[in-house]
Amino acid sequence: MANLSIRSVSKSYGAVNVLDDVSVEVEEGSFVVLLGPSGCGKSTLLHAVAGLNPIDSGSIVIGDRNVTNLPARERDVAMVFQSYALYPTMSVAENIAFPLKMRGLDRKTSQEKVAAVARLLRIEALLQRKPRELSGGQRQRVAIGRALVRDPRLFLFDEPLSNLDAALRTELRAEIKRLHQSIRRTMVYVTHDQTEALTLADKIVVLKAGKIEQVGTPLSLYDDPDNAFVAGFIGSPRMNFLKARVAEDGKTVLVGDARVDVSHLAARLASGQEVTLGIRPEHLDEKQGVELALAVDVTERLGSTSYVHGALPSGETVVAERREDQPRFGETITLRFVAGRTRIFDARGSRVR
Amino acid sequence: MATTASDPTKHFFQPIIVCLTVASVALTLFVIWISLHDLSLMRAGREKFVGLDNYLRFFGDPRAMAALWRTVLFTALATIIEIALGLAVVLFLDRDFAMKRLVRTLLLVPIIMTPVVVGLTWRFLFDPATGMANYLLSLAGIAQVDWLGSPRIALFAVLIADIWQWTPFVILLVMAALESAPTDPLNAARVDGAREWQVTWYVLLPMLRRALAIVALIRAIDSIKAFDLFYIMTRGGPALSTETLNYYGYIVAFTNFDISYALAIAVILTIFTNVALLTMYSVLFPKAGER
Repeated sequence: MANLSIRSVSKSYGAVNVLDDVSVEVEEGSFVVLLGPSGCGKSTLLHAVAGLNPIDSGSIVIGDRNVTNLPARERDVAMVFQSYALYPTMSVAENIAFPLKMRGLDRKTSQEKVAAVARLLRIEALLQRKPRELSGGQRQRVAIGRALVRDPRLFLFDEPLSNLDAALRTELRAEIKRLHQSIRRTMVYVTHDQTEALTLADKIVVLKAGKIEQVGTPLSLYDDPDNAFVAGFIGSPRMNFLKARVAEDGKTVLVGDARVDVSHLAARLASGQEVTLGIRPEHLDEKQGVELALAVDVTERLGSTSYVHGALPSGETVVAERREDQPRFGETITLRFVAGRTRIFDARGSRVR
Repeated sequence: MATTASDPTKHFFQPIIVCLTVASVALTLFVIWISLHDLSLMRAGREKFVGLDNYLRFFGDPRAMAALWRTVLFTALATIIEIALGLAVVLFLDRDFAMKRLVRTLLLVPIIMTPVVVGLTWRFLFDPATGMANYLLSLAGIAQVDWLGSPRIALFAVLIADIWQWTPFVILLVMAALESAPTDPLNAARVDGAREWQVTWYVLLPMLRRALAIVALIRAIDSIKAFDLFYIMTRGGPALSTETLNYYGYIVAFTNFDISYALAIAVILTIFTNVALLTMYSVLFPKAGER
């Protein structure tokens, strides 16, 4: 068990910068999620930490050891792959025992450890089977078992749940969370699924095009995003972004005819400035506040709540949560929100605060 | 759902299956029938039923037994060396380099060349006086070798030509298998602490086992049937030292015109081949359905 620090790591394939001066600190025992859309470099970063991908510059330190130039086998990390990456010709027991065999552990100890891990992951009944005889969820359990068995300094997860169906994904997600709570090892987890990130992480690193957009706890990213990208990427349905303009007084923002009070930002806004106002769907169902008229297109009923998709008079589309009623196509409803829930972004997408 | 009974496509494939079955069964029975007589073109019209005489003659025929042994030796050596060499080259080539496409195209050349050209080329190379092989040996200070003239060496000279021609075939097939094999397990093994040779030995080779087994079977079958290289390079000589069973059968049929005995040899070769390959198959694919 150890902390991990990724210091100014860069990597490029030809002219494409896959990782651009990325630095991340992972505290001992914490669960850090690297989150971003596909192609943002998160898997490349994880492979670099594992030692499977050389980096162009920067350094990677695990515990107090600089492992930048060490091969994967000497880094003492364990990795769980999206494709499970089980050894197809070995049985489940042999798969889990493989890391121990590579370390020259004797058979008896190795068997005991495999049995202990199998018990923990409830795969005792599968030990003699071959990977192809297992379901996706069972395979990923085995892969996690193979990572657990030798108690490495660091656990790496590369989109481990992406190949599973929705129900299994929820189940295994909870299991990984439980695992982390019980063994308290340092874990780095890559995903493009913000739900996984929000539920699992102590700390989320949001990446886009090889650069870090924001680092923070799940709630801070959700409530207090640094920029429009993070605001839009985290949360489902995503935050609504509306074109707005700062009024003459410099203390209100105009969305259509609606006026939103932003006097706390007055110092950083110029009158007439074009800005983007961000507001989450769940904050559009207040009893009183600023009003917007919405022409309803579609209502998604989820049982406990509903999401209304529609258009503002300006033509911009908006998704709003609706707890009380379920308006139909063609109706016009009034959305209400309070100014304190809005987030203002400048023309380049940076948060104004 | 269409059942087999109502499936109209059967009118297309069933006649073909019937034709093929009739042709192969009829031919096989005809061959066995003739092999039970003493049909010889030297004594046309005087053949009579002789029972298993031709088969008994085979096992008492030292020339046939020597040819059988030579066939076994040639097949085993050719298959083992070609697989080992091919695999080594594939593992060595398994990295991206600038000329990879060119190398792959060049590998096709020996396979495309007709055996007659290959045989003639190697005959020239192995010429004791003017051949390249002895020239290279002389550069290394090694004594001249009479490649195709020495009974102890000629079989191996043909073997070298066969290896040159067919190792690229092994390389291409194993390379294709390697490229379709998943790479994540290899990376997993590296993270799990395996050195590169351990990755290859414990993870990669077991994944390639099936492809290797199939290539080995193909090469073994081809080696047993090998005829053209022997015909061009040595004609079974010197002193019968490169006469394989297949070649001996040809001599018996078309030089001695002893058709019945030649067909008996062919039947024995077929049975022998099938038994050997089925044994090999069951060793390489131990359990039904294993992957």
